[in-house]
Amino acid sequence: MKKLFYVVILLALLLTACKPTPVATDAPVATDAPPVTEPTVKQLTILWAEWDPANYLQEIGNLYEKETGIKVNVVQEPWGSFYDLMASQWAAKSDTYDMVVGDSQWTGQGATQGHYVNLTDFMKSNGIDQTVTEATLKYYGEYPVGSGTYWAYPTEGDAVGWAYRKDLFEDPAEMDAFKAKYGYELATPETWAELRDIAEFFTRPDNPKNGVKYGVGVYTQKDYDGMIMGYENVMFSWGADWFDPETFEVEGVVNSDKAVEALTFYRELYKFAPPGTSNAFYAEMNDAFISGQAAMIMNYFAFFPSLANPGVNPFAENTGFFAGPKGPDGQAFVALGGQGLSVLAYTSPERQQASMEFIKWFSQERIQKEWAKVGGYTCNKAVLASDEFLQNTPYNQAFSDSMQMVKDFWNIPVFGQMLEPVNRILHPYIVDGQGDPKALLDQLAVEQRQILVDNGILK
Amino acid sequence: MANILSSGKIGKKHLSERGLVNLFIWPTLILLILVNIFPLFYSIFLSFNNYSVIGNKLPIWVGFQNFKDLLTNEQVWNYFAITGRYALLSVVLQTVLGFGLAMLIREKFKGSGIITTLILIPMMLSPVVVGLFWKLMFNPGYGIFNYLISWLGIPLTTDWLAKGDLALWAIVLVDVWMWTPFVMLLVLSGLSAIPEYLYEAAAIDRASSWFQFWHITLPQVAPLVLIAVLFRSIEAFKSFDLAMGLTGGGPGAATRLISIDIYTRAFLGQFKTGQASALAVIVLVVIIAISNLYITALNKAKES
Amino acid sequence: MNTPKSKRPEVNYATRVDKVTFKSKLTRNLKAILTVIIAFIVLIPVFWMAATSLKSRADAVAAPPKVIFEPSMEGFIGLLTQRRQVTAAQGLEEIKQDPNLKWYDRVMLNRGQQIVGKSEYVGYLKNSAITAGISTILSVLFGLFSAYAFSRFKVAGKGDLLFFILSTRMLPPIVVTIPIFLLYRQLGLYDTTFGLIILYTVFNLSFSVWLMQGFIDEIPREYEEAALVDGYSRLQAFFKIVLPQTITGLAATTVFCLIFAWNEYAFAVMLTAQKARTAPPSIPSVLGTGGIEWAQIAAGAMGFLIPVAIVTFALRNYLLRGVTFGAVRR
Repeated sequence: MKKLFYVVILLALLLTACKPTPVATDAPVATDAPPVTEPTVKQLTILWAEWDPANYLQEIGNLYEKETGIKVNVVQEPWGSFYDLMASQWAAKSDTYDMVVGDSQWTGQGATQGHYVNLTDFMKSNGIDQTVTEATLKYYGEYPVGSGTYWAYPTEGDAVGWAYRKDLFEDPAEMDAFKAKYGYELATPETWAELRDIAEFFTRPDNPKNGVKYGVGVYTQKDYDGMIMGYENVMFSWGADWFDPETFEVEGVVNSDKAVEALTFYRELYKFAPPGTSNAFYAEMNDAFISGQAAMIMNYFAFFPSLANPGVNPFAENTGFFAGPKGPDGQAFVALGGQGLSVLAYTSPERQQASMEFIKWFSQERIQKEWAKVGGYTCNKAVLASDEFLQNTPYNQAFSDSMQMVKDFWNIPVFGQMLEPVNRILHPYIVDGQGDPKALLDQLAVEQRQILVDNGILK
Repeated sequence: MANILSSGKIGKKHLSERGLVNLFIWPTLILLILVNIFPLFYSIFLSFNNYSVIGNKLPIWVGFQNFKDLLTNEQVWNYFAITGRYALLSVVLQTVLGFGLAMLIREKFKGSGIITTLILIPMMLSPVVVGLFWKLMFNPGYGIFNYLISWLGIPLTTDWLAKGDLALWAIVLVDVWMWTPFVMLLVLSGLSAIPEYLYEAAAIDRASSWFQFWHITLPQVAPLVLIAVLFRSIEAFKSFDLAMGLTGGGPGAATRLISIDIYTRAFLGQFKTGQASALAVIVLVVIIAISNLYITALNKAKES
Repeated sequence: MNTPKSKRPEVNYATRVDKVTFKSKLTRNLKAILTVIIAFIVLIPVFWMAATSLKSRADAVAAPPKVIFEPSMEGFIGLLTQRRQVTAAQGLEEIKQDPNLKWYDRVMLNRGQQIVGKSEYVGYLKNSAITAGISTILSVLFGLFSAYAFSRFKVAGKGDLLFFILSTRMLPPIVVTIPIFLLYRQLGLYDTTFGLIILYTVFNLSFSVWLMQGFIDEIPREYEEAALVDGYSRLQAFFKIVLPQTITGLAATTVFCLIFAWNEYAFAVMLTAQKARTAPPSIPSVLGTGGIEWAQIAAGAMGFLIPVAIVTFALRNYLLRGVTFGAVRR
């Protein structure tokens, strides 16, 4: 009926067949660098997500301009489209941006697919690798893990921490009632079991204390890495893992008995969460806390400044912070957030050199101190350990503790494919109790194994 | 009588007419071809390849492998089923409600102009913001949805977006809220174009109002209604922003519309561009098939 | 058209469609009341959005929701300014002492934020107006002419051509963004208003052609025939006879194309950076360290709604008036 249309499609097929790589024709863009007429680089453009830390980085950039005359422009893209934008820039081998403050899991793609400049020699020869903490260098900078090859300068450290309502935890009547019920003192939890008890204790929708109806807010967002960032706090602390770090094997690891226990536990925690947090991530966590619904929430440290700000959080005076609790065997791990600063590979050598000069300048202890002062979460060892830093905010101590316990998921290039089945399979169980945890994790192991096999990582 | 004009009765004008037709049609076609042909070729070509847009590697020709993988994947069929259910529910509801609303507003009253404009407002909002905002409103804690219902004496603590079936209905509800005005406006302009003598003739014949509706109103507005339904159906099959903002496809994959699945494959760290393109081509074929059904109906409606 | 020839003289009067459909005044009033009630229910979310735009960060997510609250301008101020967080340790109190502060500075300082400059919102809004405005005019014009040709003339392969035009709207935009991005970079159209205008025009063309054809098909051909017999040229007949009668269709098509172009999100995200960026991508993801800034999002959405609402309101008489067959001289 629609002959013409089919003819067009056929024509399309034919033409594409004759011209095998229309994509390859885009390749010259890479070499399409701006004319090398200008002798020096006058401006550096850094891409980051649209949030406050990017404003802080702009302030640091202004300082750089003052000291060197080179303008630094931090371009902010909304979180929702940040990754999509970066990917499309990679796809076009675009030289729009000099550097990107990218998510830790991008490192694999950046390194193996050639989007990032290898910074190993630069960082080692300038001693920069020695100035940041080991964990941040490992997770933000290194790929593959343990190789000693670096692709990013750890810039904005972050991890999942906890905020809680002091007025509830320190209320004498509550403390007595808690002790009577559970047999130990009410305080910030040392273990996940205690955290669960406290969550249960404060979950009273019909009889709220100071308006608080629910015990705990946990991550459940399922389109990307939200729920995973929540669940893995428990799972890592239980001694389980996503995969065997040596072999990448998932079977028997992601579905180990410990993982089953951890998943069951996370599901139970969600029972004490405010309804309406069934697809919740950092924004919803802060909403739940600011609205006074939850006694405790998990969240990235990057989102804690506003919880300590009385202009935003009505309970700011009564808000405390603690680092992630221990699992049954006494291990404690917290999920890693945060980003490293990478140099993009599609700009001219001059611009790449200028970018590295900036990183060299930025990594100095003096600048890192400034970075911490304006609000950045530095990864610099010396600054992190300084009393000045620890006492600067109510959450910096917890931050510093957490950064000793961070752990990350896959940063291999196929991490996105690994995330998908986790969300699809585990989310209905966590928020709605659908399915049996063991069976679900078995299914997850099968599907993830297939992905690894398909991509030649496993046999 | 239909083709007095084009059958060349006014002979002298014939040649300039051809010129006029070309002048009127070709700019549109050329523009469409220029912008659409590359993306179409690109997607169709990549659908036969193993390729990642950020992978820095040339595409590898895999024949029909992507299609085979997708079409043998039960989940993909499930996502199509979800999309179909969603599209059917929302398009039917929008059409019925839009039609009803148009019949109601058809008669002018004082201030009806402004009321009609107000009813059109949901359609004017950005779909992404609408998704986000309804998520806020559906929140059982601080959302207004359950709160207002509890004013009616039905206390609700339902988390609409956490249960598979409810979540799909919630998305349908928002889509209907947003796009019923679209159907309404088209029906309304169709209604106002019905020549009045048709009704008068019917009145002389003492036809019932039901008869009038069935034999005059409906056939007369049918072409415009079908265009509205056609476009709403195409949009519903491609629907992305709303569902992504409301549920992100969840809980689990309970509301994962096919566009969300394409997005998940094409972005979100996966970047399986070849496979996503193949899925898009499948969607294209499905939409073509459905559109053909409508267009057949539309041509029938025009002829009658 | 199935108009019996004998009925034709009857065509000559204005559009009181309700004249024959016997309705007493009572049912008419009932209908009006029902309409108002429906409009009210439909608008509840919009009221809520307007209310949220005037709320403080904490009130926006107060549980249970606050219907009565102390209005705050922080959403609108936040929308229009760039700020930096200032903690007590960084000298918040000292900044507050500054006598030169404006009222909006104080509002934000009470939230622990210091205003450091203007935001991009107004610039984005301007881009939106230019992009959506021009592309709407273009797609309606192209659509009108093509639709007229398709409706009135024999065009070879008409069904196929129309279907091709429709098919350009069928590919999910998510898939199309990347090839178009690559294409635009090659052509130097990336991050240009011109590129976006072309894209939105094309995006709306299929809709415009189909809808306008639907409207033009409704207009009896007899009028043009009569005019041609009277010695009008084809173009004159088009402008003097057809155009006035398509006014409802034109208004409806304009409103829809404007709405689609105005709110388009996916292409705007992928194809613009700073220079040509329109407002939609900037509204939904306003994210401070406090999480989602609901008041700011609501303020942005409301501010973004008003221009389209005004255009629609201005066109309401054309949208609703119907075709005035009486206007045709025979």
